[in-house]
Amino acid sequence: MRILVIEDDRKTSDYIAKGLNEAGHQCEVVADGRDGLFQATQGSYDILVVDRMLPHLDGLSIVKAARAARVRTPVLLLTAIGGVGDRVEGLEAGADDYLIKPFVFSELLARINSLARRPPVQEQRTVLRVADLEMDLVRRLVTRAGQNIDLQPREFTLLEALMRAEGRVLTRTMLLESVWDYHFDPKTSVVETHISRLRAKIDRPFDVPLLHTVRSTGYSLHAPR
Amino acid sequence: MPRAKLLRSTPIRFALTYGLLFVFTSLAVWLVSFELLRRELREELDVAVRETYSVIEATYASDDIEDLVGTMDSFVRLNADGSRVFALLDRSGKILSGNLKHAPPREGFETVSALQLGLAGDEQFRILSGDVGGNRLVVGESFKEMEDLAQIVLVSFGWSSALAALLAFATGAYLARSAQDRLDVVAASMAAVSRGQLDVRIPLKGSGDDVDEIAGHINQALERLSTLVESMRQVSTDIAHDLKTPLNRLKLLVDEAATRSLNDEAMRSLLEEALAECDQINTTFDALLRIAQIEAGARKRHFLPVALDQLVYGIAETYADVADDNGQSLRTERIDAVEIQGDKDLLTQMLVNLIENAITHCPPGTAISVGLERSGECWSLFVADDGPGIPENERENIFRRLYRLDKSRTTPGNGLGLSLVRAIADLHGATVNVNDNLPGTRITLSFAP
Repeated sequence: MRILVIEDDRKTSDYIAKGLNEAGHQCEVVADGRDGLFQATQGSYDILVVDRMLPHLDGLSIVKAARAARVRTPVLLLTAIGGVGDRVEGLEAGADDYLIKPFVFSELLARINSLARRPPVQEQRTVLRVADLEMDLVRRLVTRAGQNIDLQPREFTLLEALMRAEGRVLTRTMLLESVWDYHFDPKTSVVETHISRLRAKIDRPFDVPLLHTVRSTGYSLHAPR
Repeated sequence: MPRAKLLRSTPIRFALTYGLLFVFTSLAVWLVSFELLRRELREELDVAVRETYSVIEATYASDDIEDLVGTMDSFVRLNADGSRVFALLDRSGKILSGNLKHAPPREGFETVSALQLGLAGDEQFRILSGDVGGNRLVVGESFKEMEDLAQIVLVSFGWSSALAALLAFATGAYLARSAQDRLDVVAASMAAVSRGQLDVRIPLKGSGDDVDEIAGHINQALERLSTLVESMRQVSTDIAHDLKTPLNRLKLLVDEAATRSLNDEAMRSLLEEALAECDQINTTFDALLRIAQIEAGARKRHFLPVALDQLVYGIAETYADVADDNGQSLRTERIDAVEIQGDKDLLTQMLVNLIENAITHCPPGTAISVGLERSGECWSLFVADDGPGIPENERENIFRRLYRLDKSRTTPGNGLGLSLVRAIADLHGATVNVNDNLPGTRITLSFAP
């Protein structure tokens, strides 16, 4: 993928670029807001990673201007400020996701992958399938190998998120945001608790595990590779 | 404006007080002047009676009784309305001339009724009688004319007073109303400021009056306040940026080191610990920043309707499992339907903080309960446990920033969870109370309009 990173801190952008290159992406870095907007509207990129605080033109204005210029490239906004109002502002400006500093590279990569594979138009699928695991979204039924699996409402939403992201890593923060709508870091192990309960229902009674823990990053649901 | 509020309004009270004072003062002035007028008129009457008496008496200068009787007769003839009375009696008391039936017994000035003079009606007369050459001359005049005049004065004074009072009340009400309107503008502006709208200014009338002067001072104070808040916000943003950037580098570095030390398990676990410390620093920092942000009140602009009961159900469902894994139980008690204007993200964090507090500070076996009750416009939300409880002298301290009870130093947390709870509750106009749950702790958030 071609990724444009607009970030004024040299060291941060170096790490990001290095990591993205190692992950097999082509990465360009711009440190100034105005240059960033120019690049974003002229070049063809698959993803834009934009820092919120930039010299000359801030990240929000870049996203607004780019959207006004009909640039539809997915945007991941990076920010030092973690207030809820700031997140809403970012999304309203036209950003697709929002990552609060400090972050680890795996979190950034997981979000970039998630944005890149986000279907352009929302598919109207009624059944999700991963290996022998099936989810009927209309009747809200889950079966594995033909056996009914009884899930709590929250476990159902969690499994749905994991199945939609099949094969991709969803970090703990991403799950908290999408499944629980929690935009803060809880003290207790909310995600771990629900993952282990879900695992007990969809994996433990069967031979092949589908729900995998990706060390110090998050979780991924996929058939054995 | 409702009547109770109307009566509490200072300008209206002033207007009412001055209106009443005016009415009482004019009543007193009126009574005094009416009494003075009566006295004056009475003296005038005496003078008039004496003059008539003297004129009649003078005609007797030639000692001719016939002249006297003739003068008397012509006076009686000229007096068609009967407001004046005359009589001339001889030595034996026989009436020689006049329009009286009886004469008063004594000489000199006297006030007598029509009846005593043998006349019809209930008028009073002022009578002067005296001796003229051995005969008795009686001259009198009715009080009626004087009373009529007094009556006219009374009525006209009454009308003008009533009109003046009406005018006084109307002017008072108008002035009070316009003063009240200006005070209302000040009050509304200050209410907006307390909701976090620091850019509100009180409009000035430009007349330079006292209200304008006070409003000007308030505006200056607001200007200063918003400059301070703005610079504080700027400082926090700068600190956030300047601290977060190196923190971000640090985290990226440590994370990379951890990823590269795949084969060295001991090193890796050390680095993961370092990473956790980075997160701890960041969490504390974020929480402080967020409390400051909430206390500045700016978030009220983002308020939307929030179904509090749905929020409670969702969080309770999630945390029932977390509590269960901890060997505790969490259940919901009575949950009434409550919709409020608020910030959903903050309210979620508030309730999560309260429940996580109970979970992390209570031993296994603890029963935690959550409830939401509503009566009319008031609602109260509680999180209770039957755990070890909080000593009474510590209950206010737990809301202090970075404060931690000695026994909870070993549990995870930064001592900001409850400060944040209080800040969020304040933002929504709710109060937080800590009570003994006998045994355990009960934290209640109550809201009353």
